[in-house]
Amino acid sequence: MNTYYLLISAALFALGAYGVLARRSAILVFMSVELMLNAANLALVVFAREQGSPAGQAVALLLIALAAAEVAVGLALVVAIYRTRESTLVDDLAELKG
Amino acid sequence: MSAVGFAILAGLVLAGALVVVLSENVVHAAVALAFTFFFIAGLYLMLGSPMLAVIQFAVNAAAIPILTIFIIMTTQSRRVRPASGALYLIAVVLAGAFLYGLWGLLGAPQTAFRPVSPEGLGARLLSVTLLPFEVASVLLLLAMVGAIVLARRLEK
Repeated sequence: MNTYYLLISAALFALGAYGVLARRSAILVFMSVELMLNAANLALVVFAREQGSPAGQAVALLLIALAAAEVAVGLALVVAIYRTRESTLVDDLAELKG
Repeated sequence: MSAVGFAILAGLVLAGALVVVLSENVVHAAVALAFTFFFIAGLYLMLGSPMLAVIQFAVNAAAIPILTIFIIMTTQSRRVRPASGALYLIAVVLAGAFLYGLWGLLGAPQTAFRPVSPEGLGARLLSVTLLPFEVASVLLLLAMVGAIVLARRLEK
């Protein structure tokens, strides 16, 4: 049964990775990163159950807090970028491209 | 009964994630993200961690999508061009590596599993993982201050 949970986790991770690579809006890239973080979290909870230990759940809880902090700072950055560029598309922010 | 519930939840999670990744309407993607996280909370419940399910529901399925939708509205980025294809391969390879890394950890014999009670999790957070817990609270404070500084309107 745990194997199926891991398959769901891997599928979520793949969808998130595809979203990060293929999406053009910075907000959608953030949402895809969230999907990947949740996939990792799900795997962590599955292994916590496999080991019969609450350690994995404590770490998963801290990971949710970490993801919330990431979203707060990331979305503030999107707002700051929108103020100066009038755009949130990642293609418009390619000054570092060689 | 458990298998049927898992199948339904798994299908809903994957369908929601597909909408997030493929939808041209960013608001639809944000709502689908909220539903995806809601169903992941259901998976946590089935995995025997009610506390984690509640926190997943409150933080990931409610707070984060609301914040995201506010930002979508204020930055007027409701619609985007569809995602470019041809990157499926990289995503599938990444997922394969992810699954391969996890697979080796699975083989251990199943130990008897008892659901973790919220009391047990809380006691553990405040004893064994006290330092990470405190660091996480400082991190959240820093993120809050950082977000205010970044999004503040600059004085002329």
